[in-house]
Amino acid sequence: MHELAIAQSIVEAVEAKAVECNAARVKSVRLKVGEASGIVGDSLAFSFEMLTSMAPVLTGAHLLIDSVPHRALCRRCDSEFAVVNYVALCPTCQEWSSEVVSGTELQIMELEIERNDNHA
Amino acid sequence: MPKVTLAQNILAVNEHVAQEIRQSLSARGIRALNIMSSPGAGKTTLLERTIERLRGRLGIGVIEGDVETSADAERIEAAGAETVQINTQGTCHLEAHMIRDALAQIDLAHVDLLVIENVGNLVCPAAWDLGEDLRVVVVSTTEGDDKPAKYPQMFAISQVMIVNKLDLLPYVNYDLQKVRRQALSINPNLHIFEVSCQTGEGLEAWCDWLGTFARGV
Ligand SMILES: Nc1nc2c(ncn2[C@@H]2O[C@H](COP(=O)(O)OP(=O)(O)OP(=O)(O)O)[C@@H](O)[C@H]2O)c(=O)[nH]1
Ligand SMILES: [Mg+2]
Ligand SMILES: [Zn+2]
Repeated sequence: MHELAIAQSIVEAVEAKAVECNAARVKSVRLKVGEASGIVGDSLAFSFEMLTSMAPVLTGAHLLIDSVPHRALCRRCDSEFAVVNYVALCPTCQEWSSEVVSGTELQIMELEIERNDNHA
Repeated sequence: MPKVTLAQNILAVNEHVAQEIRQSLSARGIRALNIMSSPGAGKTTLLERTIERLRGRLGIGVIEGDVETSADAERIEAAGAETVQINTQGTCHLEAHMIRDALAQIDLAHVDLLVIENVGNLVCPAAWDLGEDLRVVVVSTTEGDDKPAKYPQMFAISQVMIVNKLDLLPYVNYDLQKVRRQALSINPNLHIFEVSCQTGEGLEAWCDWLGTFARGV
């Protein structure tokens, strides 16, 4: 639902970085998106495409999404397990006390750019 | 082709502003609460009832987020709290910069507890830190007993869940036990209060807890 606002934040951050790096074009943007970040990848890609079509430096940029699984660490038995549908129950000892170790990420990792030739 | 590393949070700008808000409120001894729910679960009514009960004990300031209209802000003002209205003009959630701007319009001298009523929506507000110390999600007996399972992120990031409209339980098909179980399976540390803003049931326990929280700076 808020993928458009997230896409807007990505475009703003990438545009700022592109200026800083003197990039003529941004070819791709790589993200890390956790399973428990509340973001729907397809919907984000759609919003990103729409916004980048209006941003010259970003037009046609590919959005690459690395999905990160939702995992937790049991405080009792110290084993790490996959969290399914947000249910944080340790499958080994049936304990509810756990700590999320991954899956909430929402990060821009890297850009692939083309530089302005005259400034190379 | 050159690669440029960023490794930054997408919402870094919002998080930065939220952190500034948190520090400046904390320096003034003010605690902040972000109250979220689907539309009509009873956030404004709960706030009215809470302010009526706590206003003798605590200074309360309110920021009302609404897509349109200032109706909720007027209700809160009438209940006796200093209120600022934010109209998000279509945005489905509040963002930290809106809170920063609203704080500039509120006299914080006598405020101990700042309450932010977010836009009615169980999805988007979960992603935006507003600089609050406590996140409260309100659900009501008229909206179906599957909300925690359907919108788990909201329940995972909240510290308190309030189940409202207990007075309507006889008329609806709502399994309170199931809601508790679902919510706790997502977030075992969730504090749960069950209330009716209509009859007042359960409000005393919630207000006592909140009063203690607000003073525990
Ligand atoms: N029967 C009953 N009705 C309630 C209760 N609490 C709130 N209501 C009613 O529910 C309706 C919505 O309440 P609001 O307080 O405006 O809900 P809200 O969450 O602030 O709504 P939005 O700001 O539009 O998202 C109103 O008609 C209230 O009178 C309750 O405990 N019992
Ligand atoms: Mg309201
Ligand atoms: Zn375990």
